[in-house]
Amino acid sequence: MAKIELKGVGHAYNSINGEPNYALHPLDLTWKDGGTYALLGPSGCGKSTMLNIVSGILTPSKGQILVDGRDVTQLGITKRNIAQVFQFPVVYPAKTVYENLAFPLRCAGMERSKIDKRVIEVAELLNLDGILQSRARRLTPDLKQLISLGRGLVRDDVAVILMDEPLTVIDPQLKFSLRRKLRDISARHGHTLVYVTHDQNEAMTLAEQVVVMDNGRVVQMGTPQELFEDPMHEHVGYFIGSPSMNFLNGKVTGGVVSVMDLPVGSLKQAGIADGEGIKVGIRPEFVHIQKSETKASCFAKVVDVQDLGNNAIVSVKLVDETNIKLKLRENAPSIGSTCFIGFEPPMVRYFVDGVAVQ
Amino acid sequence: MQGLTRYKLLFLLPGLLILLGIILFPLIFTIRVSFSGWDAIRPGLDWIGGTNYGRLFVDGRFWQSLSRLGAIALTSVMFEYLFGFGLALLVWHQVRFRRITRVLFLIPMMTTPVVMAVIWRTIFHESLGPANDIAGMLGLGTIPWLTHSVWATVVVILVDVWQWTPFMFLLLLAGLLSLPKEPFLAAAIDGAGPIRTFFNVTFPAMAPISVGALIIRLIEASKIMETVYVITSGGPGTSTETSSYYIFIRGLRDFQIGYAAALSVTYLVIMIVLLTIIAKILTNTLVKSGV
Repeated sequence: MAKIELKGVGHAYNSINGEPNYALHPLDLTWKDGGTYALLGPSGCGKSTMLNIVSGILTPSKGQILVDGRDVTQLGITKRNIAQVFQFPVVYPAKTVYENLAFPLRCAGMERSKIDKRVIEVAELLNLDGILQSRARRLTPDLKQLISLGRGLVRDDVAVILMDEPLTVIDPQLKFSLRRKLRDISARHGHTLVYVTHDQNEAMTLAEQVVVMDNGRVVQMGTPQELFEDPMHEHVGYFIGSPSMNFLNGKVTGGVVSVMDLPVGSLKQAGIADGEGIKVGIRPEFVHIQKSETKASCFAKVVDVQDLGNNAIVSVKLVDETNIKLKLRENAPSIGSTCFIGFEPPMVRYFVDGVAVQ
Repeated sequence: MQGLTRYKLLFLLPGLLILLGIILFPLIFTIRVSFSGWDAIRPGLDWIGGTNYGRLFVDGRFWQSLSRLGAIALTSVMFEYLFGFGLALLVWHQVRFRRITRVLFLIPMMTTPVVMAVIWRTIFHESLGPANDIAGMLGLGTIPWLTHSVWATVVVILVDVWQWTPFMFLLLLAGLLSLPKEPFLAAAIDGAGPIRTFFNVTFPAMAPISVGALIIRLIEASKIMETVYVITSGGPGTSTETSSYYIFIRGLRDFQIGYAAALSVTYLVIMIVLLTIIAKILTNTLVKSGV
């Protein structure tokens, strides 16, 4: 396993007026040895480009990739010592599970007895030991994905395991168990794991660090909790959390931020002038219905209630027609009723031009 | 409900009628003719029972032409598959001049069979053709291309391969271009070289399209006629005579229409049975076992 460093790595598939049109803007990023990382973002945000650059499928137009300090930018896929699991399970269908797992070792010219030992080890790890003699084509997609992963794990020289949305074709029920298995394996063996997904649940449950991307840039890298509680960018607030963060137009007066003349908090950071446009962000989990009107509550009308069983998503409309979502565990109001809502002050966040300010 | 059935039939009727007209009627008519003694002297649909079929069973020339056809068709289709696959693999990743080279490869297929057969006959002409000039330069002496039974068969196979390799090439190239990228990337990541990648990824992935291409070509190759007609006329002797050519001789040269019909029907039945068996074997060996 290894530490991966991206130094000024950027890639443009084409150029506009002589200027490179970056699909991935030049960036610096370090993935530490044994860490589990998720690249999270909407389709076309550059996450697969980044993964392909690391795996060697794509040579970046700028920058260097270092694996344990060794520059591998110009090395081909074969020489990178990476393992990759693709979106669709890739197995050698005519071969048995055993032959599939042994394939990379045979290619490397390893002795038969050593191959046998390694394959059995990995098969036991992935619970594939009972089906070693079955033909891979007859297996279910989740087992095929495990074989793809096994072909990576069987080599002991693997620097990093890359996964490109590997659970997309798996049934929801199997998805859950496979996700847990992936996490266990990565935790037990200390592999550096990079996982690409557009599903925030997958990213949050699998990775220690989530790299949120948008428009070819890394917007924030942090633990799931950091991303949830302290989004550094509006995009993170919007992309992480279900439902996404509420954004309201605020006003700054002498360092105090107010929404519809209702003070919601004050800014620690200087340099934001009075009257400047500011966005106030609050997670639906931190908006509450208050029993009676207070100084810090605003009047709202309930326009929609979605009962999700253990909680309810309530949409309310404020006096200025702004829509806000609340996530309530109990006592959801009925549609058409009116109420007073309040925010948890420590959980209110502020954004200027899309970037978080303190 | 009955009304609906009636409407369904009404809409199906035009298609069924056309099918009846173009497939069933000629087939049924041929079967009927095969039980008649229709020839140049006594034309007409009389009834002679199974006489033609009895005659056919002891007609050694027909059975020889059938086994010869089998050998020619299998050999040429095998070479067409090998060359077609080879060429498709060569141009698969081609970036420059891809359109022009692909069009060039297709020229043999677009040429009129008779014209190209005449050209090939000229090339292999024993005293005037360039083939023997080249053979002479290589010190091989004069080769009896069209007057020796083995060489004549070789020439027929060669011309068929020349003409139909592009068809294989086209089908297999389309197949290659439609393959997903991931298995190839996975093989590269696993450290497989080009030969391992071919046998473990490319060939198994191409198996279904290979079977399709081979069957289509075998059906076509079993009807080989113009090439034989123009290049060797079935000669020397009957050494390159294939079934269709023999049926043509009996039916349109000797005007033994009834007998030719019996030959055709027998040929058709044998072909259906044989090709079904071949298709089954190919599917089992190439597709189901995944090679």
